[in-house]
Amino acid sequence: MSAFLARNRLIVLAYAGMVVLLLVTAMFSPGFLSVSNMRSTVVLAAFVGIVALGQTFVIIGGGIDLSVPWVLNSAAIVMALLCGGQDLPLAWVMPLLLAGGAFIGLVNGIGVAQFGVPPIIMTLATNVILQGLILVLTGGSPTPSAPALIQFLSVGRIGGFPVIALIWLALTLVATLLLSKAAFGRHLYALGTSATVAEFSGVPTARTTILTYVASGLTAAFAGMLLTGYSGQAYLGMGDAYLFTSIAAVAIGGASILGGSGHYLGTVAGALVLTILTGLLPALNLSSGALLVVYGAVILITVSIGSETFAGLGGRIRGRRA
Amino acid sequence: MSAEQTVEGARMPAHTKDIKPGIDWRGRALDRAPFLVACLMLALIVAIYGSLQSGVFTLDELNLDTAAAMTLMLAATGQTIVLLRGGIDLSIGGMISLGTVIAATRFTDDPSTTAFWALTILALGFLIGALNGLLISLLKLQPFLVTLATWSILNGVAMIILPTDGGSVPSWWVGFASAQLLGLTSPVWMLLALLLFWWWFRATRVGITIQASGSNEKSAFLSGVSITRVNILTYGLSGLFAAGAALFLITQTGAGSPTIGKDYILPSVAAAVIGGVSLFGGRGHLAGTLIGAFVLTLIGNLVFVLHVSSYWQPVASGIILLLSVLASSVAEKAARNRVQ
Repeated sequence: MSAFLARNRLIVLAYAGMVVLLLVTAMFSPGFLSVSNMRSTVVLAAFVGIVALGQTFVIIGGGIDLSVPWVLNSAAIVMALLCGGQDLPLAWVMPLLLAGGAFIGLVNGIGVAQFGVPPIIMTLATNVILQGLILVLTGGSPTPSAPALIQFLSVGRIGGFPVIALIWLALTLVATLLLSKAAFGRHLYALGTSATVAEFSGVPTARTTILTYVASGLTAAFAGMLLTGYSGQAYLGMGDAYLFTSIAAVAIGGASILGGSGHYLGTVAGALVLTILTGLLPALNLSSGALLVVYGAVILITVSIGSETFAGLGGRIRGRRA
Repeated sequence: MSAEQTVEGARMPAHTKDIKPGIDWRGRALDRAPFLVACLMLALIVAIYGSLQSGVFTLDELNLDTAAAMTLMLAATGQTIVLLRGGIDLSIGGMISLGTVIAATRFTDDPSTTAFWALTILALGFLIGALNGLLISLLKLQPFLVTLATWSILNGVAMIILPTDGGSVPSWWVGFASAQLLGLTSPVWMLLALLLFWWWFRATRVGITIQASGSNEKSAFLSGVSITRVNILTYGLSGLFAAGAALFLITQTGAGSPTIGKDYILPSVAAAVIGGVSLFGGRGHLAGTLIGAFVLTLIGNLVFVLHVSSYWQPVASGIILLLSVLASSVAEKAARNRVQ
């Protein structure tokens, strides 16, 4: 048990932080711990959590995906346009857009892994290109409303549980199995710790890198479609917030931004922490600008805790790099 | 030519035979290639633009285009310094927004108040940048991560100061961008000043140490360069230029915007990369960056005269950036192989 705690100290810390934050928030706004409020918090956290799933893979592999906002936004808008409010087209639109998200990820991954383009530049460029293409496509006009089925997936309930929470739970299971049990997970940690050593040890580094970006494209596109259901409509700029939140969720969850460590279970806590924070700020009469300041501060503080300077102070307890 | 070389080689002592005499012309040409490609690209774009639109080859057009490109040029100058250091600065997005909203809410018709706030914005830019550099060094964190966080923070502060686009700037400040001297407007003179600055800066102690640390941090450190000091100066200068970009931007928009800065993050990197500045540090020249900024700006003009949706501009810039990055990454690999 103590070995488990030592190895996953940062993840445990993230969950402890979440509980403390919940209690603090409950003090400021007494209704916060009610069932209905908890439910809506989990629903909002699920969107962050799903986008951050792919981001977790990318960051463990030592990269970063800044194309998340417009992959998400593109999927949302194209889905609304193609479905025109009808359920039936979803049967082919959803697979098509998931494939589209995976394709953008593939392009990102190939650029990074095969051509050696720095991940920040590669993903920022695809982000801008997608943004331009979507603006050309829509001409800035609003889209039809979301199909009823997608609305059910994001705001509906089964036996009192939000459907999206169940989807998130299923995705968490899949991610945990991939990271902890599958060869992909072992390859990924090896790659993130040292690409050179991994390469010489026979890890398919290029393929693993590409797969992380494909996963990120997939989850961002999926989240975009679900988010359209939540807001009832797709609109320009709906993905912008997810750039900072997806990265912050991973950082809070204890993944080293240098790669090689972390787990999706930590990211889940990170997504919840960020959403609770978002709920806390209106109670304190703070604006959306303050929220951005908090996101930035949270990224800075959490990555500092995981950085080498602090690792040197508590290195023996952690043994993370050993 | 080859016969002469053999004769020279034969005259040399045996142990120096492997060292090539003179300048490595092939290596130099390969180093300059991206810059020359950028010049060709600009010439091509100007040629197409000139054939579609009359009056392109006039001073007026130069004045207009330089004014349109100057914000990007200032931001990209800071980014070039950071890229030469081997880093990246995403926080300029937040700094530019913050600069415009402070200016739009604090500037008055009274010149001394306005001058005070303009200087404050510049000082703030340098200090925030310096803080970026300090955090990168102290916490041993990747530059993109620290600057991503400060981007978010600065953007948030800008939104607190001015939640939506607005505010106003005194008319004489706006008029600065169209002030003329010898037929050239102030942006053109600023462009010349930037080139002069670079010609001076790259040979200064600071300029050399920044490039050396970007080229090889370990060797620079072992040669007695303080990496912390270099980082503080590098990111400080980037913040300073971003603040300058904000002060120029408000002459074009006449108002503050808490979100406008993010439109300059990728283009600032793109201008540098198109102009042949290496993303891996140590190599590049501001002249290339300025050409890259012209390329990106003129693409906007082309899109306009071709009567297609203006939204094609980011698509075209993104694709050109990707092609330049791919080319430079491939060239980088080739260069590394050459050294080995």
